[in-house]
Amino acid sequence: MNRRTLELLLGPMRAVRRAGLLWAGSVAALVVMTVAFWPAFKGSTSMYDLINQMPQGVVQAFGLQDLGTPAGYLRGNLYAFLLPLLFAGAGIGFANSLTASEEDAGRFEILLAQPVSHRAVFLGRAAAVYAWVGLLTLVTAVVQLACDPVVGLSIGLDRLASTLVLCGLLGLFHAGLALAIAGFRARPSTVLGVGLFVAVAGCNMASLFPISEPLKPLAHLSPWDWALAGDPLVNPTEAWRYAVLAVPAVGLTLLGIFLFSRRDVRAA
Amino acid sequence: MVARDMSSRQDVTPVLVVDGLAKNYDSLQAVRGISFEMRRGEVLGFLGPNGAGKSTTVRCILDLLRPSAGRISVFGLDPHRDGVAVRSRLTYVPGELRLPDRMTGSEMAESLGRLRGGYDPRRRDELAERLRVDLGRQNRQLSSGNRRKLALLLAFLWPAEMLVLDEPTTGLDPLMQHEFLLLVGEARAAGASIFLSSHVLSEVQRAADRVVVLRSGTVVAQGTVEELRSRARQRVEVWFERKVPAGLDRVEGLAGGLVDGRHYNAYLVGSIQPLLRFLATQPVVSMLVEEPDLEEAFLDLYQEAS
Repeated sequence: MNRRTLELLLGPMRAVRRAGLLWAGSVAALVVMTVAFWPAFKGSTSMYDLINQMPQGVVQAFGLQDLGTPAGYLRGNLYAFLLPLLFAGAGIGFANSLTASEEDAGRFEILLAQPVSHRAVFLGRAAAVYAWVGLLTLVTAVVQLACDPVVGLSIGLDRLASTLVLCGLLGLFHAGLALAIAGFRARPSTVLGVGLFVAVAGCNMASLFPISEPLKPLAHLSPWDWALAGDPLVNPTEAWRYAVLAVPAVGLTLLGIFLFSRRDVRAA
Repeated sequence: MVARDMSSRQDVTPVLVVDGLAKNYDSLQAVRGISFEMRRGEVLGFLGPNGAGKSTTVRCILDLLRPSAGRISVFGLDPHRDGVAVRSRLTYVPGELRLPDRMTGSEMAESLGRLRGGYDPRRRDELAERLRVDLGRQNRQLSSGNRRKLALLLAFLWPAEMLVLDEPTTGLDPLMQHEFLLLVGEARAAGASIFLSSHVLSEVQRAADRVVVLRSGTVVAQGTVEELRSRARQRVEVWFERKVPAGLDRVEGLAGGLVDGRHYNAYLVGSIQPLLRFLATQPVVSMLVEEPDLEEAFLDLYQEAS
């Protein structure tokens, strides 16, 4: 990798390092806090009684089944909603900050006057987004693995790894969507609005639609369903689940690069 | 002064050709089929009021905007298809200057150095001293004038064949404007061609060899500064021994003549020769011809165009 290519990747990574470290710190703190409550939760019977009184569909919709097991506890408190949402939000946020926001603020002007192609600049920024989402995933894994033995929370490394990879890919799917929108049109509000809408709508489709018989089939349209419906903390993950997230993520990113390279660059 | 002294070294090969360039934003026609050339080693002034289409043209040259019609050639290359090759040979100061808030001047120079290659820290320090730029401060802590100086430093830091400068002295004090003109002269002496887009007439008048004047997206005039100046109205006053002679108003180029006894006051457009020939046969006591400056020519062009 030559200096120019490296700069096109590391420059954007440096540009969002504060935000990246903040995201990483927040996710780490969330994992630590959640894991810290496991001993108290494990011994509590009143919570199980409460959950048992809830309709089965609602319990499943919110990932509350088997809350007394380590996998059920982590699913219900972290991996069913919270962490995937944070990863999706981080992916959208990084993508928006490094593309649409920068362009909208007029900060692409000097950069694109250098001997670099528009494609290479956008690709470097997309790679930086991927790298930060990857780092978030890695930080989550390290903190989770470091904390679990302290409180006696036992979860298989392979299950945890596949769950985290799926959460990371879900983040990249939404980052790819944000990059595609930014490639089409440099409006930060559009990138954030559409990106977050798709994330929240997908989450609701995957969790709530299965409760309703007529809507149940539509749940399979959600990326959240592709990622997490197989309960990866408990069951081995089928290979296609990785593929249906990774392929659109890369495809949307390439679409963003293509669209950006063909359009005018917005002035401040 | 340096710029003028180098005029004999000019090469007529165009380094920039703009041919029928048009750029539309939805229904707005920002640039309407303009054509001009810039020769190698030339300082080309690109003049026009706000909204004339100057920045749009500059951004098309840099491939930041895609033309709606027409053709641009830079160093004989297409700025879109051969963008990397073109931009490796030129540097740019944008009109609307936005720099990354948290980066320092040094960090920006190093970052661009990694993209361009050929980064020379000694040249950077020399320019920082001349332009009085504090390279250790974050961009967000710099005033608009200091940010502009940093952008100039980044443009003059590399030995480019062409400098594209869009309103480069906005916010600079007179001392720095003078330093800028010196830098332009030095770059030109080193063989660079300079595309100087500005609405600061005095700056263009001092630096440019030729001028292209833009108004409402069309070229209303182009030529050397002298040619442009010759198109301007000159105020002429003549005092005669006796009353103002008949027929003076019919002299070619004179207009708006006012007679006050033995004193005649009018505007002259074009050559002064017909007037001098007429006056040579008359009892003239004294005569005053005010030298038109580019500003007057510029304003006249705008009035003509509007």
